[in-house]
Amino acid sequence: MSISDLQTEFVGRRGHLFWLSLKTSVLTLLTLGFYRFWMKTRIRRFYWSAIRPGGHPLEYVGEPIEKLLGFLIAVVILAFYVGVVNLLLMFASFSLFQQNTFAYVISFLGVLPILFYARYRARRYILARTRWRGMRFGLNKGAWGYAWRAMLHWMLTIGTFGIMYPRQAFFLEKYLTDRTTYGSAQLHQGGRWQMLYPYMWWVIITTTVSGLIIWGVATDTLVPQDLWLLVVLIPAALASFIRFKVQAFRLMANQKTAGGISLHSNPKTGKIIRYYLLGYTLIGVFFLAYFFALGFTAVFAFPDCLQDGQFSPSTCSNAYDLPTWVMTAISVVIYFLTFILWSVLKHVLVTLPVMRHYAETLEIHGALNLRHVTQSTHDEFTEAEGFSDALDLGAAI
Amino acid sequence: MSQIIHVGGTPATFDAFADFFDGHTARKHRVRLNIDNDLGTEMVLLITLPDDAVLRWPVNNIRLVRDQAAKDGIVLRLYDNALARLVIRDDTSTERGLLARCPNLHKRAKVKGRLRIATWAFGAVASVALIILVFIPIMANQLAELLPPEGERAFGESTFEQIRAGLDETGLEPLRICDGGAGLVALNRLRFRLEDQTELPYPLTVHVLDYDLINAFALPGGHIVFFRGLIDNAETPEEVASVFAHEIGHVVHRDPTRIALRSAGSIGVLGLLFGDFAGGTVVSFLTGQMVEATYTKEAESAADDFAHDILAKSGISPIGLATLFERLTEGKEEPTGLAKHFMTHPAAGDRIAKARKAAAKLTDATPAMTKPEWKAFKAVCN
Repeated sequence: MSISDLQTEFVGRRGHLFWLSLKTSVLTLLTLGFYRFWMKTRIRRFYWSAIRPGGHPLEYVGEPIEKLLGFLIAVVILAFYVGVVNLLLMFASFSLFQQNTFAYVISFLGVLPILFYARYRARRYILARTRWRGMRFGLNKGAWGYAWRAMLHWMLTIGTFGIMYPRQAFFLEKYLTDRTTYGSAQLHQGGRWQMLYPYMWWVIITTTVSGLIIWGVATDTLVPQDLWLLVVLIPAALASFIRFKVQAFRLMANQKTAGGISLHSNPKTGKIIRYYLLGYTLIGVFFLAYFFALGFTAVFAFPDCLQDGQFSPSTCSNAYDLPTWVMTAISVVIYFLTFILWSVLKHVLVTLPVMRHYAETLEIHGALNLRHVTQSTHDEFTEAEGFSDALDLGAAI
Repeated sequence: MSQIIHVGGTPATFDAFADFFDGHTARKHRVRLNIDNDLGTEMVLLITLPDDAVLRWPVNNIRLVRDQAAKDGIVLRLYDNALARLVIRDDTSTERGLLARCPNLHKRAKVKGRLRIATWAFGAVASVALIILVFIPIMANQLAELLPPEGERAFGESTFEQIRAGLDETGLEPLRICDGGAGLVALNRLRFRLEDQTELPYPLTVHVLDYDLINAFALPGGHIVFFRGLIDNAETPEEVASVFAHEIGHVVHRDPTRIALRSAGSIGVLGLLFGDFAGGTVVSFLTGQMVEATYTKEAESAADDFAHDILAKSGISPIGLATLFERLTEGKEEPTGLAKHFMTHPAAGDRIAKARKAAAKLTDATPAMTKPEWKAFKAVCN
């Protein structure tokens, strides 16, 4: 650790995020979803400001209004596709194949390039609105280039049953990194795709064996009891995939440079898995209690619903003395409340600890070169992340 | 410099240090902060850079950077300079001193480009409205005629499953299909009797769902669905038969196919507008549309005429339509389902009269179901 190496602090507190995300979610609900642009902005401001490389926070300067505008633009463009094209596909699918799977598949394939395009554009918007030490980040134009590359990479990955996934992960990340700027400094992704391979073997082995077992049982080569092996294999496959993601992040971060500045990342797979496991377990326990409490309240409020100790909606629906609109209002509120609680808890119990770990294990080397970094021009970017928002590519934050 | 004579609570002289980023380079500057009171009206924050250059920030124009995660300090900016940042950390006295002197810290920036936002908002609403209210209905009407019978049947099946799942209130399993054997046999005998008088390219399928609403509806491809609520409220088999025949009328005229195609096209567009947040409600809203489908006056009238016609040909009295609706519409404060559908229709009285007239014409009617059949049918959901 030399004088020009910067450690990263993470200063975000769960309690703060909990109230921020709860408050903004409730406002989103009350405004029929329109506050979501403000919610997203405020939550990003929180996360960005929590990350302090070298003691100085990142800043998110995106505006809610530009997100709203971008969303409206995307609606104008996509409404035609989603409405008219999907109706035609649905018709064709039922006419020719008597089922709608065909329509879903074609519709999905048709929207796929737009999904990748939207993902790149969303990243460009977010980077253009991120600053550190007063300098703007940025991503050069190149969304369609990303889209067709992503399509080809996915084809190769699927065609090789996932064996080429590390290659895809590396080259798509390289495409993004090589177009990323920090002020006047241009980022560069070094390294080779083969360096990710050591972490891929366990993913390949566990998924292949799981696949073989399922295939074996399906073709009666194996007895159904053998499916019990999946109880071990599927969590193992999941864990090895998380390991791949974490280590690929580490290896690729360590090969990123910009004008004499370089990154050093050292996240621990075990910790990340523990945060996921603990976070989702707590969320699961909470929702168990939540649904139990709802059921208990319902039975308490409408005793007729309970027939011989069993919950039976058919007998209790006659017992509703409340007007229909009250019942409807209650169910709508419960429906949204469930979503809100899910997203709030996920932020607090999963996203924040995972992000904290990635931040705290990141160092910036060669920071003396920061003095040479000067400002870059503002990227206007009218449609913001409209496409990604309209297509619900919400991502994590 | 003019001399200001302070009277009373003189503010302590303000002298502090902070970190400053000028927005031109990534370098951090350690700056000295002072307050200049001397201009009389406007108080100014003086930021002295290491090279002794002085920046003047009028305190009225200083804003706090919002939603910061850290509680150990504040970040300040100038409202008309988007780039420069002043960072005060671990220094509560300076922080308090500045917060006390800057009156507009929380003032929001004026929204720029309102006209542009309004224009695009109008464009978005207009294009969604155009697509949902014009393009999709026109296309649905055309496509309903072109859909081959097998496709129509499959479409109906998938819609039926969606409705079963959509109407379920427990969120656990789809709505139960009533299969009280003898009751279903009775209903299917009635089906054969009515079906004989039609020329449909596919057989009719009839289901009873365990649901309270007094309603029945048709789906694409000859699927007809009764809710238990209707069966509980029906007093004669003729009432069931007349509703059945009316729904067959809709099937023959492909009304449900049109509506279902329309919903299929609209779901995605509305989902786009409200985001995933309300995905579930959009689907359930459109399920409701299908169940309480509002057809045009002409479509209803045509289905009625069709019903009277095939009821007469099958030797069943069309009186059921009149008696059922008369009973459902009297003395109910909040009509639901079929009654609502019927009552909100402008020509409700005409339709009852028409049914009575058609019934009077028919002299040799036979019951729609035998007594044991009717008894079994009433118990189909038990």
